[in-house]
Amino acid sequence: MKSCEWQNKIGLYVDGELEPAEEQAFAGHLQSCAECSAAALEQQELKKAVRVAAKRFSAPPELYASVRRQISPKESTRPWLRWSAIMASIALLAVVSFAWLSRPSAPSTTVAQLIDQHVIMLASVNPYDVISQDPHTVKPWFQGKVPFTFNPAVPADSRFKLLGGKLVYAQRSPGAELVYQVRQHKISVFIFQARDVHGQASDSNLAFTVNGWQQRGLQYYIVTDAAREDADQLRALLEDANRS
Amino acid sequence: MAATIVARGNVSGLENKDFETLAVPLLDGLYNFARWLSGDADEARDLVQETFVKSLKGFSSFREGTNFRAWMYRILRNTFLTSRTGLERRNTQQEDEEGLAEISISQETPEVTLIRRANTELVQAAIAQLAPAFREVVLLADLEEMKYQEIAEALDIPIGTVMSRLARARKQLREYIIAVPDQRRIVGAK
Repeated sequence: MKSCEWQNKIGLYVDGELEPAEEQAFAGHLQSCAECSAAALEQQELKKAVRVAAKRFSAPPELYASVRRQISPKESTRPWLRWSAIMASIALLAVVSFAWLSRPSAPSTTVAQLIDQHVIMLASVNPYDVISQDPHTVKPWFQGKVPFTFNPAVPADSRFKLLGGKLVYAQRSPGAELVYQVRQHKISVFIFQARDVHGQASDSNLAFTVNGWQQRGLQYYIVTDAAREDADQLRALLEDANRS
Repeated sequence: MAATIVARGNVSGLENKDFETLAVPLLDGLYNFARWLSGDADEARDLVQETFVKSLKGFSSFREGTNFRAWMYRILRNTFLTSRTGLERRNTQQEDEEGLAEISISQETPEVTLIRRANTELVQAAIAQLAPAFREVVLLADLEEMKYQEIAEALDIPIGTVMSRLARARKQLREYIIAVPDQRRIVGAK
């Protein structure tokens, strides 16, 4: 059997490694060559299967903690520096306590709690209470469990895929955690009543991307290790979905 | 703003404080990779910790314009290769390097159906039976979605070797999966 000249390019095509012109030519070739199109489809399916199966192990949460300890800057041994650090800590403690007392839900606490929730979800063997990619399954599941409603739908052609949802608590108030996927990254979206849970999400929370906003009386937070642009995009989609 | 730096691309003008921002998001992937390499939870934890310590130490020498993620994976892998398990692997493993494997495909492919119906455990077993040199290249390409160039940097091998190993690894995966009798597949399993 005469083998097709394109055969060696199938892997490159599936891996997105062909130059744009070559890729276009290959795509054209696939229309006419049953052999190559079957092989390309097969490789695509295999790649997909491997992607799902290979994500087998999640780093235990305590590994995050110990790595952070290891890589955080070491304490200075110079005494005057240590003293000034202690003085600064006392001053900071005073400021923080004041902020804490004057506002029951200090933003940093809320955000830290939500980052914890996100990490727990990532590490858990049962990350969802409701597993479905269908927003019409996920949304009704929260009925009667949280005192508000929202729309978890993102457009089907977007890069984000709904994976499921979970009931969570923050500041002793019930809320919804929705989990989406983009590429290999999981994204948690937390929704609470804004009067119960609120606070600004800052940019650099232990390297997680956190994005918070309020809309129609609800407080939303996005927590993820994906890139900031991903969080921004998902936020825009959810804002759209919950506008009317 | 430190938090906006994207760890996947090339980076430049970095300071030490950026290390955490760049490196911590890679932790989960590095751990998964370390588990697949070493096959042991404790060893994987140690490998990841050592990787972070080494890479932080070497961060000042990290060359601008090179790929941070590939650099981290390279450190992890080198750490593994100098560990006990890694040395054993180097001594026992004879990698054969050939050109691109021949891909033989018949016109009809019930294979596509078989691959689609393969459940996660079956695919995991297929990955596990690969020789380590093939396994790592598949993991980086398919799970970490690295480009060939990135994989070549991470594994310190020529790009041609990346391609030939990948082709051979996939051939072996495919053969393993389609050779399994149908009763071992769980239809519709996630």
